[in-house]
Amino acid sequence: MAITCPVDLDTRRLRDEIQSIYARVAGDPAGDFHFHRGPDYAAELLGYDRAALAGLPADSAGSFAGVANPHRMGPIGEGAVVVDVGCGAGMDLLLAARSVGPHGRAIGVDMTEAMASRARAGARSAGLDNVEVRIGDAMSLPLGDASVDVVISNGVLNLTPDKSVAYREVYRVLRPGGRFLYADIVLGAELSEATRRDIDLWTG
Amino acid sequence: MGELLEVLPAIGFADVERRERFDAFRGTSKERLARKYDVMGVNVFARKP
Repeated sequence: MAITCPVDLDTRRLRDEIQSIYARVAGDPAGDFHFHRGPDYAAELLGYDRAALAGLPADSAGSFAGVANPHRMGPIGEGAVVVDVGCGAGMDLLLAARSVGPHGRAIGVDMTEAMASRARAGARSAGLDNVEVRIGDAMSLPLGDASVDVVISNGVLNLTPDKSVAYREVYRVLRPGGRFLYADIVLGAELSEATRRDIDLWTG
Repeated sequence: MGELLEVLPAIGFADVERRERFDAFRGTSKERLARKYDVMGVNVFARKP
């Protein structure tokens, strides 16, 4: 995956398109999209634990649109502060909140109010009071320096116009020794210039 | 992928390692394009020293 957009790609339009498509996913997770959603996809193709997913509110898992599985890179750890960058409706966030337990904190960051509202509702429904969801952007995380133990992100940072800025933000908010459990899409082949300019593909 | 594994250490991350790959676009309307460009989901681990 290219680290930056083509210089003439309209990044404001890209951001608007991303907000629009994920608001649609939040409102209609069963709608027609060119990527998979939901807990069956997560279990079958990404190796999520079905029993753990069954314990989550249906609304949180139904809008899941991740592309890999950060939870398979080891336990997050009881008592940890974990941030999910681009938490969406909160499936990974709620799994992380269960992992850190009542003495830990799980903070979700999402730029789409529709998704953030779903994540908050999911946390309430699951009885998880160690969850907080903030509106924010991966390019400028609403978190202090060296304030978290673990950052997770799933299928989100590939949507940012300059990924190196997003990675620096992750580095900034992690404490020394903190872990970045990063799940995303990558390309094995170079994209043509026309394909790189296709906003529909950036938003998928 | 190689670009990513170079960028993270350049920022300061240590122990950068690609873990599992996932065929996340199997069965979607973009599967053919994903195959053409070898688009996969991946887990990547990194640690702040």
